Amino acid sequence: MIEGKLVDLVPFEDDYATYLESWMNEEAWFRAHLWERREPHTEDMVKKFIEKMEKNERGALIGFQAKNGDPIGCVIFDHEWSRVRKADVTVVVGDTRYEGTDEALDGLLMLLRYCFETRSLHRVDAVALTFDEVKFDMYERAGFAHEGTLRQHIRYDGDYVDIEMFGLLEDEWPGYETITEKLGLQPSGLEPKPKLEKKDDKDGAKDNDKK
Amino acid sequence: MAHSTDSGHPLLEGLLVDLTPFDKRFVELEHKWENGPAAFWGDMGDRQFFTRDHLRSRRERNAAERENDSSPAVTFGIQTKDSTPIGLFVVAYIQPAFRTAILGAYIGEPEYWGGGYGTDALLLVVDYAFDWLDLRRLWLVTMSLNARVLRQMDKVGFTMENRQRNATLADGTWYDIVMYGLLRDEWPGRAAMLERLNLWPRAQATKG
Amino acid sequence: MLLHGLLVDLVPFTREFHEEKMHTFWNNESRWWATMGDNQPVTRAEIKRMNEERIQGHERGYTGIHFMMRARDGNIIGSAGLNWLDYWNRYGMLGSWIGEPDYWSGGHGTDALLLLAEYAFNWYDLRRLILFTMGPNIRAQRNVERCGFKLEARQRDGGYAGGEWVTSLAYGMLREEWQGRETLVEQFNLRERAEKRYGALD
Repeated sequence: MIEGKLVDLVPFEDDYATYLESWMNEEAWFRAHLWERREPHTEDMVKKFIEKMEKNERGALIGFQAKNGDPIGCVIFDHEWSRVRKADVTVVVGDTRYEGTDEALDGLLMLLRYCFETRSLHRVDAVALTFDEVKFDMYERAGFAHEGTLRQHIRYDGDYVDIEMFGLLEDEWPGYETITEKLGLQPSGLEPKPKLEKKDDKDGAKDNDKK
Repeated sequence: MAHSTDSGHPLLEGLLVDLTPFDKRFVELEHKWENGPAAFWGDMGDRQFFTRDHLRSRRERNAAERENDSSPAVTFGIQTKDSTPIGLFVVAYIQPAFRTAILGAYIGEPEYWGGGYGTDALLLVVDYAFDWLDLRRLWLVTMSLNARVLRQMDKVGFTMENRQRNATLADGTWYDIVMYGLLRDEWPGRAAMLERLNLWPRAQATKG
Repeated sequence: MLLHGLLVDLVPFTREFHEEKMHTFWNNESRWWATMGDNQPVTRAEIKRMNEERIQGHERGYTGIHFMMRARDGNIIGSAGLNWLDYWNRYGMLGSWIGEPDYWSGGHGTDALLLLAEYAFNWYDLRRLILFTMGPNIRAQRNVERCGFKLEARQRDGGYAGGEWVTSLAYGMLREEWQGRETLVEQFNLRERAEKRYGALD
């Protein structure tokens, strides 16, 4: 676990795999994974995605949760390019109640902290659909510069829409401590979700049999 | 046009070059090209050392990926009118659901740089991508140091859409990665572009 | 991503569908209608094998996109999807299957068809949708025709169903012939029908 101000980064396991089944079918997922086909993600597709990310040497899928342990979503860095020390970063706010909150922003800041202060990256890239103002706001507060627009790059619900491209350089990153202080992050005070019931309790059933 | 037995069958015929399947002749030359100056420009400042084995396994991996991938790619060899292989052209990362693709190319033989060969090939491929693959947008990526490509993009009508600051390192200096896009309705067609760029007389002069 | 309809939602498949419902649907009368006359019994082992092949198919570049059909009352009643997406020629083949006979004739299939057509045109920019049914399936013919599909080919003796040769019917709809989901929902009174069956819509 890496502890932040409002959220902690944790390994993507246990409940996260179960939550991802619904997260990967939420609008937020498709807005973050612009290049993907818009199709229903079934349990085995979700499992495959997690496995792919576990094997991915140029990226990682990381969970982030509120201080009370409530899983919020996942942060992803991918396509890490070692020669020029650059990677793509993505935040998926799976629990949509957290959309636009400082917890979501802190998820991004923690990912940036990890990219710059742990992995020693030189630059990170981020993208957003042209009407995704919640993301623009988040990128702007984190210090990203808007660098350009890929015109009509994606088909989205009946239209071809633009993709906005953002970048943040190592020497523009003031450090996690400084930026969180400057932004004055405030917790949203959301109640944690009820704990998930174990979905596959075959093992549990066996244990009961023994008793 | 007479072709010797080891010359490629032209799939797309231009004024200075033809595009052919990426056949054995090109595979043979890939080792030289990938270790030469063209690769530095093509890979945005990288200088890699490729063994023949490395290139073979990369080709096999790409072929396998493309077979089961929903974003296929088309690779052409570029050859001059006398069937000399000089480079390659790839329409890659074809996204059928969005009808976009990324273009990638290099002229592997430096003596053919600046002679209009690359532009001739580009016009063929753009026409092909719109008319045969029914794509609606083409894009490509280069580095800001590559003045030749920047000029070419301008001439051919691509729009610079994005500039990733300090995104690649070339010979010790940081340069921007620039992204260009061309929409189908911005494309006047190859014939009009040949006129506009004055490529006919240039081709005549080259033929002698 | 869910496609929300009035009588049905189209949602990702669950384990319950593959492990339980499929066995039921593949062994009752619904299969005969959906597959143009297949009716030999299917074992659980075969269902399991089919599911494994389905997962592998996706890795080998199979382009189909399928949804589970869930009625407003929460029951899993069938499936619907694009059985095939031809990106180069920009057409898709639709298919749907209501495995619970109690839900036939209630507008559920029509609701699903409207969602699917809208989805195919909006997200994949297809130019044309096609689908197939057989001569005896009068209900399907009526349904697809009023949604805007045109009968394009009658393949005589195109299938063998229930001991006799039947005509296989090929339907097609071009993008410009599609009136849009909202218009057809109005035209078919789907809202009223949904409220009558399941209570007020939210």
